[in-house]
Amino acid sequence: MTEHGQDEILELLWTLWEDGKSKREELLRATAEDRPEVLLDELLASGHADASGDDIRLTRSGEERARGIIRRHRLAEVLFHNLFDLDNVQLESSACQFEHILSEPVVESVCTFLGHPPVCPHGRKIPRGECCDRIRTEIQPLVMRLSDATLGATVRIVFITPKSRTRLEKLSALGIVPGSRLRLLQRNPSYVLQIGQTTIAVDKDITDEIFVKHT
Amino acid sequence: MNPAPAVKAPGSPAGTVILVGNPNVGKSVVFGALTGRYVNVSNYPGTTVEIARGEARDRGHVYEVIDTPGVYSLLPMSEDERVTRDILMREEGARVLHVCDAKNMRRSLMITLQLAEMEVHFAIAVNMADEAREQGVMPRLDSLEGILGVPAVPTVAVRKKGTDRLLSLLDRLPVSTVRLHYGENIEAAAAGMERLLPARTPVGKRALALMLLCGDDSLTPWIAENVPPARIREMNDLRNRLAEETRGEIAYRVNQTRLAWIDRLLAEMGVEPSAPAGRDYAQAFGRYAMDPVYGIPILLFVLFLAYEFVGVFGAGFLVDLLQRKLFNEWVVPAVAWGADRAIPWRIARDFLVGPYGMVSMALSYAVAIVLPIVGTFFLGFGILEDSGYLPRLAVMVDRIFKKIGCNGKAVLPMVLGLGCDTMATLTTRILDTRKERVIVTLLLALGIPCSAQLGVILGMLASIGAAATVTWLLLMVGIIFLVGYLAAKVIPGESSDFIMEIPPIRWPQFGNLAVKTMARIEWYLREAVPLFLLGTFILFAADRLGWLLWLQRAGSPLVVKMLDLPPKTTEAFLIGFLRRDYGAAGLYSMAKAGMLTHLQVLVSLVTITLFIPCLANLLVIIKEHGGKVAAGMALFIFPFALLVGAALSAAARRLGIHF
Repeated sequence: MTEHGQDEILELLWTLWEDGKSKREELLRATAEDRPEVLLDELLASGHADASGDDIRLTRSGEERARGIIRRHRLAEVLFHNLFDLDNVQLESSACQFEHILSEPVVESVCTFLGHPPVCPHGRKIPRGECCDRIRTEIQPLVMRLSDATLGATVRIVFITPKSRTRLEKLSALGIVPGSRLRLLQRNPSYVLQIGQTTIAVDKDITDEIFVKHT
Repeated sequence: MNPAPAVKAPGSPAGTVILVGNPNVGKSVVFGALTGRYVNVSNYPGTTVEIARGEARDRGHVYEVIDTPGVYSLLPMSEDERVTRDILMREEGARVLHVCDAKNMRRSLMITLQLAEMEVHFAIAVNMADEAREQGVMPRLDSLEGILGVPAVPTVAVRKKGTDRLLSLLDRLPVSTVRLHYGENIEAAAAGMERLLPARTPVGKRALALMLLCGDDSLTPWIAENVPPARIREMNDLRNRLAEETRGEIAYRVNQTRLAWIDRLLAEMGVEPSAPAGRDYAQAFGRYAMDPVYGIPILLFVLFLAYEFVGVFGAGFLVDLLQRKLFNEWVVPAVAWGADRAIPWRIARDFLVGPYGMVSMALSYAVAIVLPIVGTFFLGFGILEDSGYLPRLAVMVDRIFKKIGCNGKAVLPMVLGLGCDTMATLTTRILDTRKERVIVTLLLALGIPCSAQLGVILGMLASIGAAATVTWLLLMVGIIFLVGYLAAKVIPGESSDFIMEIPPIRWPQFGNLAVKTMARIEWYLREAVPLFLLGTFILFAADRLGWLLWLQRAGSPLVVKMLDLPPKTTEAFLIGFLRRDYGAAGLYSMAKAGMLTHLQVLVSLVTITLFIPCLANLLVIIKEHGGKVAAGMALFIFPFALLVGAALSAAARRLGIHF
């Protein structure tokens, strides 16, 4: 359980730092952990935090770990807030549990699904992940928007979140339904897809609503 | 399962055959091959906007054949799709030919399944079999026939291959035996719905039940007429319950089930073995034509070719040949010579060859100036249309058109408007929403000069220099965008999604091109020549009765003071109300006679370009959008045109620009 507790302290250090605070007593006042002093000592010992007098700061490695936790927490908040309309209390407790169990590929998929949101429902910044970078080298999230798919690569539709029912029906009549395989041919001046022997031009916002996986 | 035996008496009607299928699969070509009647055929999805009827004969049977607009589904999502479905409902007992694109069986089979559920007697024409074989994707039809229980005939309709076999099958079309299972919930609801339907229905009960469950409100009139209110309530309860169970995704689930079934069928069916296809230059061109980089030089090249063909060859060479050589040197002198001898009355002679004569003015304009330009334009447009370039152009300009409340699809009516605005206004039906149709209609009426007018205008502008031409062009483009942008804000309603199928690039078929161009020219002449004659007659009468001078005086505050043009220009504007190309042609003669300064030429051209193209156009606007919208457009356009002309005139004089 100490790892869980450490995570909480790291998270707190990050948010305090965001608010321009770094004093030891501020940390101890804000925390909900049972033995914050012990956890803090562990972090200092493992080199995740650094103390100079009354000031506690995250080291580079601590910052990295905290960034991941914060990112998972806030993405979870956005997910619950946007999709399930949870109230603030439920939002907080559910997000707190989620931040410990989400694996990196899942986080990337969630982030992509949410459209790489820059801030959480409380208006705090969500640290960027690799999936948010426009210029990528290799790591790709499990699920991505069709508009972000590699040009020419065959992808499989996982789900579609259309703005209107008529749009969904129009797409499904053209064979654009979950399970279909297609290729994105170009993005400019319009998005062009190839599905079977059919070539279809569509608006960008439609390709934003189609989520795909590389096959 | 055979249909009721057709009436065997030779020559008597043996029933109705409805052509149904996806857009751009060649229904109209099949229609032409079966009936020998031509309807507009092009390589552009959604060309058929009106239902065509014709007769097909086979061994003494006469069938009435109906061509319908292409549909993606028989669950209507647009006006066109509704038209097609309604025909199937109305023509009870009709046979159906389902025309498919052999290269796109996955999509076509969606309709096949719905036809099977409707329990209609049908056969499948697997069209464009040649293209599918070339690409190595031709499905094996023997297994398809086995599974569906209906005949499937490979056809190449443009070359009439396979259409005779279709014809010979018409008197013994079966009903398909295929039934899909949509899952317990939907099946239970569908069975319940079937029990609530009246005992006799025009198509299979299961099909109707599924349509109703999928939320097809276009069936409302039929329901209201045929089902008692208490049952309608029960139907709604049934549907609401199912909607809850499926979280509101009934139509989607039904489509999913169908597609999954089709995918299994296609895998089972397999394709005909074929040699691997070589590099396809036409399709490579098709890709480049909508490429963000190469697409632009290709567009410019296409424009250049169009200009060379219509502008230089048609408006320059042919007009010169016909007007100067044929009319001025031969026809008019010949008629004048004959009239001098045969007709004793001066007034009758003037009526034929006077300054406002039927031959010297009306026919000379219609045949010598307008016909060559319109003819070359329609030929060029036909080539673009049949090649499949236009949908790619739609892809190129989609984002620009978004700014004016439309999407790329609006490019077809807009380009066609450069040929004939009236025809283009009819074509606005291919647009999905009323808002888009109204905006495009307005822009066509306001800023798109038709080819006849364009020829005259460009000819006049060329003679006064490039600066004037560029000014005119920029003004027109600017006005189209400004008015389009504002109209998009003002006109209520929604713009539609841009979802457009891009057909493959094809070589235009010479036969189709010739027939289509001739049909369009004939249509144009039938619209234009009577109005030319009428306009000339009005001028002739007005001139005789002295009204012309009176009108010139009446119009002079507007024409002379505001636009700073000579009083005679009123004549051109007056006939410009009838046809703006004819008005422009009047200006052309005035400019040639040296009656206008360069600035006056430009001002008068800008003004008349902005007029409503012609009386026929106004009538079509009334027909398509109703009198109120048409009146609103006219009340906006005419004052706006004069205002722009006046502003241009004043601005140029103040700045001291005389071109």
